[in-house]
Amino acid sequence: MIENLRFQESFNYAYIDEFTKKEIRRKTLKAVCIPGYQVPYASPEMPISRGWGTGGLHLTLSLVGPDDTVKVIDQGSDASVNACNLRLFIKEMAKCAVTFDTAAATIIQSRHRVPEEILTEKQILVLQVPQPEVLRRVERHEAKTRIMHAEADYAKIWVTLYEAYVRSGTLRNGAGHPILVNGRYVATPSPIPSWDVPNLSMARCLYLFGAGREKRIHAIPPFTRVEPLEFDDIRFKVEEFIGVHCSASGQDKAFMDQIYAEDFSRFWVINDSNFLDKVRQGPRPSQRLFTNPE
Amino acid sequence: MDEKWLLRVRNLTKIFGEVTPDVCDRTGPQFNSNICPKTGAVVACSNISFDLYPGEVLGIVGESGSGKSTLVQMLYFDSDPTSGEVNFRPIEDGSVNLFELSSQKKRYIRNHLMGMVYQNPRDGLNFRFSSGGNIAEKLLMAGVFHVGNIRIRATELLNHTEVPIKRMDESPVRFSGGMQQRVQIAKAIANNPPLLLLDEVTSGLDVSVQAKVLDLIRRLQDELGISMIVVSHDLGVIRMLTDRTIVLKHGQIVEHGLTDQILQDPQHGYTQLLVSSLL
Amino acid sequence: MTKLLEVVDLEKRFELHILNEKAIEALRQVSFNVEEGEIVGLTGKTGSGKSTLMKCIYRTYLASRGQIQYYEESGGILDLTSASEHEVLRIRKKEMTYCSQFLQVIPRVPAIDVVASALTARGRSVDEARRITSEILERLSLPKDLWDAYPATFSGGEQQRVNIARAMIARPRLLLVDEPTASLDMKTKDAVIDMLLDLKRNGTSIILITHDEHTLTRMADRSLHLENGRLKEVVYA
Repeated sequence: MIENLRFQESFNYAYIDEFTKKEIRRKTLKAVCIPGYQVPYASPEMPISRGWGTGGLHLTLSLVGPDDTVKVIDQGSDASVNACNLRLFIKEMAKCAVTFDTAAATIIQSRHRVPEEILTEKQILVLQVPQPEVLRRVERHEAKTRIMHAEADYAKIWVTLYEAYVRSGTLRNGAGHPILVNGRYVATPSPIPSWDVPNLSMARCLYLFGAGREKRIHAIPPFTRVEPLEFDDIRFKVEEFIGVHCSASGQDKAFMDQIYAEDFSRFWVINDSNFLDKVRQGPRPSQRLFTNPE
Repeated sequence: MDEKWLLRVRNLTKIFGEVTPDVCDRTGPQFNSNICPKTGAVVACSNISFDLYPGEVLGIVGESGSGKSTLVQMLYFDSDPTSGEVNFRPIEDGSVNLFELSSQKKRYIRNHLMGMVYQNPRDGLNFRFSSGGNIAEKLLMAGVFHVGNIRIRATELLNHTEVPIKRMDESPVRFSGGMQQRVQIAKAIANNPPLLLLDEVTSGLDVSVQAKVLDLIRRLQDELGISMIVVSHDLGVIRMLTDRTIVLKHGQIVEHGLTDQILQDPQHGYTQLLVSSLL
Repeated sequence: MTKLLEVVDLEKRFELHILNEKAIEALRQVSFNVEEGEIVGLTGKTGSGKSTLMKCIYRTYLASRGQIQYYEESGGILDLTSASEHEVLRIRKKEMTYCSQFLQVIPRVPAIDVVASALTARGRSVDEARRITSEILERLSLPKDLWDAYPATFSGGEQQRVNIARAMIARPRLLLVDEPTASLDMKTKDAVIDMLLDLKRNGTSIILITHDEHTLTRMADRSLHLENGRLKEVVYA
């Protein structure tokens, strides 16, 4: 009989040694104290390569205890290969419970989405961030971007929004619309759709952002004001799903994916898999919805 | 009533290398070098002092390496001086040394109260942005967060500098050198600064293109009455644009005077050589 | 009469550092006064120092010794040999103009704007400046089709008229003119003289260099004769 020897080695609890976890927690506390500010941290080696969610994993593993319940989602889905592997890894390393249920989780690690269901003060959302430096697109030199943050010199970011508007007639410039956190630092919310951006503001949960490859942590503490950058006359807008509904649930108020069928016809499905399950099974979970300005 | 100066520069000095107390006494035109024989330090600017009055156009002339570009770079905070003071009337009525201000305050001065046009358009423009976006940057720095107003002002400025409006949303990378320079000028004057710095703006342009850029600068002087500092090695440019001139050699002022006097009755041997080379 | 200009012991020496320190003595111990509303002619052979003297007053040349006291409209007295560049520019902008023998204009500016700019620089509106300019150019009989052309392409006489129009239009307190009527036909010459006399009646003082007897006798209240850089005699007209 072939025995599965995975995870049989003796590792420290939650994989990372205690000194390094302490360092990550210290930096996390600093990030919470200065909302939107990117705190450099050690970013230890993990058994997955950098850029595959190591930042999120560092945060989750430094926070998790045996009493926690962890949920991992990737692009809204609990079932994708990455989500499954990360969840299994965390479960084996931290001996904690895992769940698909957004409301039941104490720590949710996510990539590219904020869950539709409202998170509470008992929950922490950990987001995996590929590029935490919102200024990197306009300034190559790290030393300069730090000075720009220090002086709140964000004109170049604004120019990219101006350029996006001139080119496409909308401020939407791919995922990760720049946000002003607590009226001070401009940050990127990680690549999440505009749909999720308003959910970051004045939320009851703690948002943590980990960029393993770039070795940065930033945070949005509970009840922190988060404003998407927008012009006086050209306002920020979320994605609109007009005249479409979810083919699995019949609902329309949620972020939806467009899916091609084998016969090349297209249909829409709610992206957040747990939210979809819940609206199909019973009462609709509580949700915050943003109304676009005229 | 005596008119008040706009910009006052006193003993502005920039040394690259070891700063020793008497380094300025061992360099300069009388030694025919700006390199200290003891330490090898380069004295780019040595105790430069002058006043600039509202609406005046000051020329700074000198050969390559005389320190003229370093001088305007210091005035625009692109480069920190080794020592010296600059006072600027709009800031605390000229009572503070600009170099002692915080970097935010310096950035405010750069964005609101000064404009700079560099020899190389790449230094003053971001070629990844459109021409309109480049102007928008300057307006956004000054707190205009209204796309409609930004586009109205950008149109106005590009009209003024004779850049075709239909190319407003194109990157200047595809523009000719002369047109890039005009976009740079439009950006520099976007916030109506009282002081405009021009560093060799026509060097490297064809004569006919050069003429159009010079005409534009001349027109801005007439119409807007901006004070300017014009850096050039070309006495023709200096003659056409400036009221007063400073002649720099090896980091020191060897002569200053009214531009027509500098050109027709130069006092210093170096200036006489410069002028005779022109004619 | 009130004094406008007082030249005291003026000397000008050109030191040519690049020509083996050669020195040229151009003016020696020149002293004279100019009253308000007076026209003073400067005569003398070519090279006697007339233009040098005029350029010293305008500060295009730096005097080597002596003083040029200018009595400002505001009542102040300014020594034009040692005043700051800024002060001289102020006087040039408001009170003193210089009309050289040859037109020196900004290239690629139409004739009418060359002249009108002297007014707009003093704060007049563009429309008003152009209207006044049109009157003057008409009086000087500069052909209308030249008004919008570039003076660099003009004949000597045409350039001369643009030059004079630009110098006179702002009605300065002190006008320095170098050969205003050379290369002009009789009719235009008289027009120029009439216009300069008009200025005088309005209080402008004029220092005038001319080789033309007719211009001198019609205009000058007195003339100063220069020889080898020295003031030889004062001739009253």
